[in-house]
This record gives sequence, C-alpha cells and structure tokens, in this order.
Amino acid sequence: MMESPPRWADRFLTWFCHPDLLEDLQGDLYELFEDKVESGQPRQARLLFIWWVLRSLRYDVIKKTSLKNTGTMTRNNLKIAARVLWRDKFNTFLNVGGLAIGLTCFLLMGFYFKQEMSFDQMHSKKDQIYRVWVKEDYGNDKVFFNSTTPLIFERILEENFPEVEKAITFVNNSYLVGEIPNRINEQVSIISPDLFEVFDFQINQGNQLSPLPDQNSIILSESYALKYFGKEEPIGQTLSIQIGDEERKFAVSAVFGDLPRSSSLQFDMAISSSNNENLYSERALNAWFNVFVETYVLLKDQTQIESVEAKVQEVVMTHLKDQVEYGQYQMGFQPLTDIHLNPEIPVGIAPVGNPQYVYILGLIGLFVLITAGVNYATLSIGQSLKRQKEVGVRKVMGAMKKSLVGQYLMESWLITLVALIISLVIAYSILPVFNTLTQADVDLNFEPWHLILYLGLVIVIGFLSGLYPALILSGLKITNILSGQKAPRRAFYIRKGMVVFQFIITVFLITSTLIMSKQLNYLNSKDLGYQYDATVSVPLYPDPSSQRLTEFINSAMENGKILREQLKKYPEVSDIGMGSHVFGNQGWGQLSFTDDAQIFRTFRMLVVDPYYFETFNIKVKEGRAFEAESTLDQRESIIINQAAADYFGLQDPIGKKLPSQEFGMHNIIGVTEDFNFSSLHNPVEPLVITQNVVPIYDGISDHGYGDSPIPKLVFKYTGNQLTKVEELLQNEWEQIFPGEEMNFSFVEDNIRTQYENEQRMNKLVSFATILSIIVAGLGLLGMTVLMINSRVREIGIRKVMGASEFSIFGLLTKSFAPQLLLGILLSIPITYWLMRDWLNNFAFRINISIDIFMLGGIISILVALVVISAHVLRAAKANPVESIQRS
Amino acid sequence: MERTQVGELEELVLLAVGSLLDEAYAVSILKVIKEHTNRNIDVTAIHSVLRRLEKKGLVSSQMGGATSKRGGRRKKFFSLSQTGRKVLDEIMLVRSTLYNKLPKITFILPRI
Repeated sequence: MMESPPRWADRFLTWFCHPDLLEDLQGDLYELFEDKVESGQPRQARLLFIWWVLRSLRYDVIKKTSLKNTGTMTRNNLKIAARVLWRDKFNTFLNVGGLAIGLTCFLLMGFYFKQEMSFDQMHSKKDQIYRVWVKEDYGNDKVFFNSTTPLIFERILEENFPEVEKAITFVNNSYLVGEIPNRINEQVSIISPDLFEVFDFQINQGNQLSPLPDQNSIILSESYALKYFGKEEPIGQTLSIQIGDEERKFAVSAVFGDLPRSSSLQFDMAISSSNNENLYSERALNAWFNVFVETYVLLKDQTQIESVEAKVQEVVMTHLKDQVEYGQYQMGFQPLTDIHLNPEIPVGIAPVGNPQYVYILGLIGLFVLITAGVNYATLSIGQSLKRQKEVGVRKVMGAMKKSLVGQYLMESWLITLVALIISLVIAYSILPVFNTLTQADVDLNFEPWHLILYLGLVIVIGFLSGLYPALILSGLKITNILSGQKAPRRAFYIRKGMVVFQFIITVFLITSTLIMSKQLNYLNSKDLGYQYDATVSVPLYPDPSSQRLTEFINSAMENGKILREQLKKYPEVSDIGMGSHVFGNQGWGQLSFTDDAQIFRTFRMLVVDPYYFETFNIKVKEGRAFEAESTLDQRESIIINQAAADYFGLQDPIGKKLPSQEFGMHNIIGVTEDFNFSSLHNPVEPLVITQNVVPIYDGISDHGYGDSPIPKLVFKYTGNQLTKVEELLQNEWEQIFPGEEMNFSFVEDNIRTQYENEQRMNKLVSFATILSIIVAGLGLLGMTVLMINSRVREIGIRKVMGASEFSIFGLLTKSFAPQLLLGILLSIPITYWLMRDWLNNFAFRINISIDIFMLGGIISILVALVVISAHVLRAAKANPVESIQRS
Repeated sequence: MERTQVGELEELVLLAVGSLLDEAYAVSILKVIKEHTNRNIDVTAIHSVLRRLEKKGLVSSQMGGATSKRGGRRKKFFSLSQTGRKVLDEIMLVRSTLYNKLPKITFILPRI
C-alpha cells in the first residue's frame, strides 16, 4: 500500500490554507512526500510533511475570509446574546443569581476539598518519601500497630537498606521555654538535622545547607522568631529551655518560613536529634519495643519501596531473633501523601482527617452546582416558549440548526461567565466569614493557572446547562411554531424530571442537616454518667527532675495538694479533686497484660485522689467509693466500671481481684456505672480506677498514653463570673510555682471540642443547604412566573365564571405539588443511606426515624409555598377584566 | 535606480524560473537550486518567495494539467515576466560592471 501523509496535518493544511493557494501547495507537498517515501524513508517523510505543513502556516497563506467570518459571527452572537439577556432582566437575574450561588457553594466546598486532598504535595520528592509504621502481631488479637516508631529505626534503615537515601525522625516534646519568670510551655520538636534535605521547607535566614549544625542550635519559624525577638535579628540570639532538671541555652541558627497548613509535619521550634543521648536513656535509644517518634525515609531515585519491604523481615530477624518469631515484628511504609486521609493506618503525630467527611462535602458542593445547572436548564426551556417566534423567523431567514445552537450556547456561556465572576467575588470576600463560621481554615492562594481552570469551568457548565435548551429550541419545526403549536411532550417530561431532581437534592440536604443537628444535639446533651458543668481542670506542675513516670505523677500530686489547700479558702471553689485524666481528653492511659487464662487483655487506667468522684458526681452502683482518710484505700483499693467487670468476667466483683497473679496487692471495692469517659464515637471501654499505680504497674506488660498522665486538679466553680477563675488561679499559682506557666480549661469546652469535626461538617452542610434552598427557590420563582404568565387568560376566565381566589390559588399551586412530593419521596432512600453511614461513626447515635423525614418534607413544602405564594396570590387576585383584555 | 528590490533567494529563484522555461514549478525550482548551489531550501520558503515575486510582477503563473502523481493536484507553473527579465538583466549588469573593475590578476572571466 502506498504511504500517505499524516491525515491530521493534511486536514489542517486544507483548513487554514487559502483555497487559491491550496491545490498547488498541497500538490507540491505530496510530490516531495512521495519522493521521500520512494527513497525508502517513510517515517522521515511523514515527519517532514508535518514540518512543511507547520512551516506553511504564514500570514499570507492563511484563509482570511473564513477566520474573519467566524470572528464576525461570534461577535454577532455575543451581541445578540447580550441584548436578549438585557431585555429580559428578571429571567436573567434568576438565571445568573441561581448559577452564581450554586457556583459559590461549589467553589467554597471545592477549596476545602482541594485543601484536604492536597496535603503534603508541596515537596519535590514527595513520591519518594514514606512514613514508617511498626506492627507487632502475636496472634490472639495481641496486636500493636503504631505510626510512631522506636528511635533506632533511623539508624537501622540507613545502615541496612541501600535504597534508603535518608531516614529522619520527628517528635514533639513539651518544655518550658524562656527566662524565669516568663517561661512558657512550648512544643519543641526534636528533628534530625537533615530533615530539610528530605522536605522542601524554606529556610529564610541562616545556613541553608545545615540549618541545625549542632546540639546547641535551635531553629524557629518566622512567626516564632517574631514572637520571641520582635524586630531584632534572631540569628545568634539565645533561648533557654528547661530539659529535665537542667536549664539549657540554645542559639538560634536558622529561621524557616511558617509551615503551610497543608503540611502534615507541623512545628515552630526545633532542636537537633543529636541531643537524643542527653534526652533519653541508653535503653530508650536502642529499644525496639518503645515507640514515640515518627520516622520518615527518603528513597533514592529509581528505587521502589517494594525492594525495601522485601528485606524488612531479614533485617528485623538479625536483631530480634531471640525475642520474636518470623513475621511477628513488621515494619511498613506509608506514602507521605497518603497520611492525611488514610484512616486505616493509626494516627502518629501528624493529624489525620476523616476522608468520608471530605468526600461527602465535595459531593455536596458538586450537587449544589448540578442543581444550579439544572435550574438554569429548566428555566431557559421554560423561557424558550416565549422565543419560539424568534426561532421561527430565524429559520425562515435561513439560519441553520448549527448556528442556532451556537447562538443559544453563547447565551448560556455569557450567563455562566457573569455568574462565575460574581461567585468568585462572593467566594473570596466571604472566605474569612466562612472560615470563622465553619472553622474550615481554608487558605486561598490565587495562581495564574486558576484562570484557565475557571475558564474551563465556564465552558463546561455553560455547555452542559445550555446544550439541552439550545437543542430543543433549535429543533423546533418551523411549521409547528408558525402555526402556534406547543413544544413536544418529551421536552415537557424531561423538564419535569429535572425539577424533581432538583427537589431531591434540596430535600436531601435539608433532611441531612436536620439529622446531623439532631445527632450533635444528642452528643452534647446525652447524660454521660457524670456532671461537668462549671468544672475547671488545671494541669499540675511535676518536679522537672523526675526520672520515671510514677515520680512525675507523684510529684505533681504532691504539688496539687498544696494548691488545693490554698484554693479551699475561696467560697466559690468547691469539690476539689485530682486525677491523671479528665473528661474531654481522649487517649486515657491504656494498659495491657496477659491474664491467668493466657488471654491478652487491655484496659484503661485512671489515677485519682479520693475526692475526684465527688467533683464529677460519679455514681458507684455496687460497693463503695474511696474514703478520704483511709490509708488502705490509698494503698490497695481499686474501683472498676461495669464494662471492666463484664470484660474480666467478674460476677459479684466486690472483694475480688483482676485476673492475673502478676498484679500487686489490690482489692476491688466498687463498681461504677458505664459513664462515657471517652467521646461518644466509642463504646465505653473497661476502666480501672486506683489511687496507687504501683500494684497495677506490676502486672502489666505494655502501656501507652494518648493523653498526658500528669495529674490535673479539678474543681467546681460556683462564682458568677467565669472570667474570675483565671485571676483567682493565677494569684495562687504565682505564689506556689513562681515563674511557671499556668494553664486551665473548662471540662465542658473540652468535651465539646471532641465533636469539632462533626460540628464543622454540620456547619458546612448547613451552609450548602441554605445556598441550595436559595437556588431552588429562585428556580421555583422563575417557573411560577412563567406558568402564571402563560395562564393569565385562563385565570381571568375562571374568575369571570365564578372561581374563588382560593380555588385559583389551589389550582396554581397544584401544578408543582406532584413534583415536590416525588422529590421528597425519592430523597428519603438517599438520605437514609448516606446518613446511616455517617451515624456509624458514633457508638452512641440517634435513630433515623420517620418524623425527621416528615419534618424535612414539611420544611421543603413551606419554603416552596413561601416562594410561590406572593406571585400566585397576585395572579389570583388580579382583576379578570384586565388580564383578559391585556392578552 | 532600482525600483524593485530583489533579495538573494528571490534572485536565485528568479534565475531558476527563467532557466527552467516551461517546467518551472516549486519542486523543480527547489531541485535546480539544490543541484547548482547545494543549498537545502525548504519548499515552503520557495512558495513564499514565488508568491512575493508574483506580487511584484516579476513572474506570472498558470495552472498546469492534472496528473496521476501528487494526489491528482495540478501544478502551478511560473514563467519570467518582462519586468522580471529586465530586473535580472539590471542586476547582472550591476554585478558584471563592478566585477570587471576588480584587478585582473588571477584569471579572466568569460563573458556572460
């Protein structure tokens, strides 16, 4: 077969080339092409042909007339579109308004969605960075799965895996920073000095290559440099940090740009991990079973993580062959960009979002946009009836279907463009309000390429929502139009269908908002089994030179007793107690042991003083609470909750012991109700309450703390002004612990923040709901006006014949009723399905009952009535003589 | 005195058109120039030059008959117009006059 030149290039040539020049030029190119093919270089021939075609693209070759024509036509279309839109201001307002609101909702939800989805994307080597997890699996549910790792991993990874370019560690510790008496408790991160070679964080001042040169260097973020040194040059300044019982001086060696919100790693102050020898014991440095740092690895270019994974067991076994069996100790790698939205891997130090919420919100944004688009389509089909004559005349004058479609698409593009501009202005200007309202924390940086995105949005939305009306209008038959026949039935049904669709989404949003609010209400008002109103929690000050956890706890308790004596003199302070954990904070101490039947058991532990129960009014249902002066209770009495009694299989638990011989001397004296000490996302877990940790610690094999176990002082505040609490506490604190920072919080607030995510989601959905109600309302309004306009004469005649205003009102309203009812009905399964999914996030949840759907339906109907009633009433009341004469 | 400015490539093409008599179309011009000067000129450049020359009135064109080659496309043949010939003559005159003034040391130029 004969080779032929590339078709597209040839077509392109035909398209742009002036017809007078085409034949000869094309012939010449063919001839040369054939020559080249005959000389045995078909590939080259094709390439050359393309090259010639492109080279022919010169000013004097281009077909001027055709381009000029297209330009003129576009300009003409645009002008006519603008005139049509200007003429019918009310409809244009409805169309633009509806689309603009839908787009605003879409943009804001889109910004939020994008922010959540693009976490950790700012690093150039992001695809080669992984976070290490460690999983110990000994069978029988004895599994320890963590995204924090032992310190030793950094060295093991760098030494044993040639694929690993670098391994770094990251951990946050809290230290007192600054000079006495102005010390502040700050999060100080301890990072590997080469962290900045893995992550692309910006060093603004100081040495780019080694920002953290030695043990005594500290780096600060821009905002922290400002906080500590104001306008002074930060480099070289010193900062004191209390580490253990030593106050050390660190010199500022570099200042880095504030870390972006969309970074999983967050820190403002960091010292080098070369300090680890001073910070941790020899044992902790080399331990394999003590996890507390996040470890990240950077792979070398062109290497795959699988080749590292394949060797993990081999390396682990060379170190741990005496302690674990093959496969029990696993080390795994999670891609950096996967951290933020993957709930499968446990949370390390980096916070993790709930992907379900993000997807739902993104979907809702899209839904509202679709509603707005559908709205536009239905409205313009409705309005198109008015324009039948215009179409007829255009067709008679010889307009082709293609040019008519072009004309109507131009109108919808114009509308979309105007709507987008309006919605961008709205979105950008209400963003701060949106952020405070929803705490969504969306950060907006405008970049030039967004323009292309927005333009694409206009083209796509304008096309999708304008195409159908354009096709309907341009497809009308001239004879039908000019003889005054109605639009085809098919279009009628599709339009009704689109209205129903719009109602479905709106009703779905209304009902979902109701369900979410009801659940949140339930979360905030459920009886948790204890009282926490006006209860204050103050973290106590432990002796900084303590070595072991028990010493920390005990020294803080001793300090707490001093503070308690001082606070007793205030009449507005009552029920002072102390405990290692307070309600509203997640992650109470989790301990585990293997019981006498060789079953692995896990429970939570709370260390208290005898007054803690009174402060929170916790009820003991069997046995008794701790007695204040009893030394026996101080030494060996423990109280468990009902869940623990069930879990340990203890019938009649009073006087019994925990099911392992390893525990020290202890005795169960009471059983409490299952009060909800953790958030209502989780069922109540087994809990052991003790005054003395020693006998419990004796029997356990593992422990972990998500919440600091350093004791807190808790008391009820009965004063009128809650703001006075701080003053009062500060006064006493100053005297006992001069120079140390005092913190306090209301338990109530902490409990509420447990549902922050859900609150935020509820607010975002409510926001979308309101916007979608407005969109649907505008649509309904437009349809009502259209319907009334087309029935003015009918209404007039009916009134003349004696119809009452009320019956006319009913007649007009009835035309929307079936669609609205269908919408309400169809939204029920969607709402039920999605909301049941959402409610599954909670161990304690409301039932989705029929009344909530009824309420949603009634609200929708009321909104619809309000929207249409004004116009319908006016039509019903109109003087029939005028309406009959006018038309 | 020259009213019509002619560039170097234009001059070359003009000469080629003249020398090819009835067979002057873009591809043959391309080949002649390649043969005599060993210069690889893009066919699109030749087209561009031919259009320019035609506009200046130095060449005239007419379409040839259809052939089975070239996808059935006709060729556009060019011939030197009277003005074209005159311009060439003038250029050559200027050149030879000036050239003849060069000191005749090495060899004698044959007459054109």
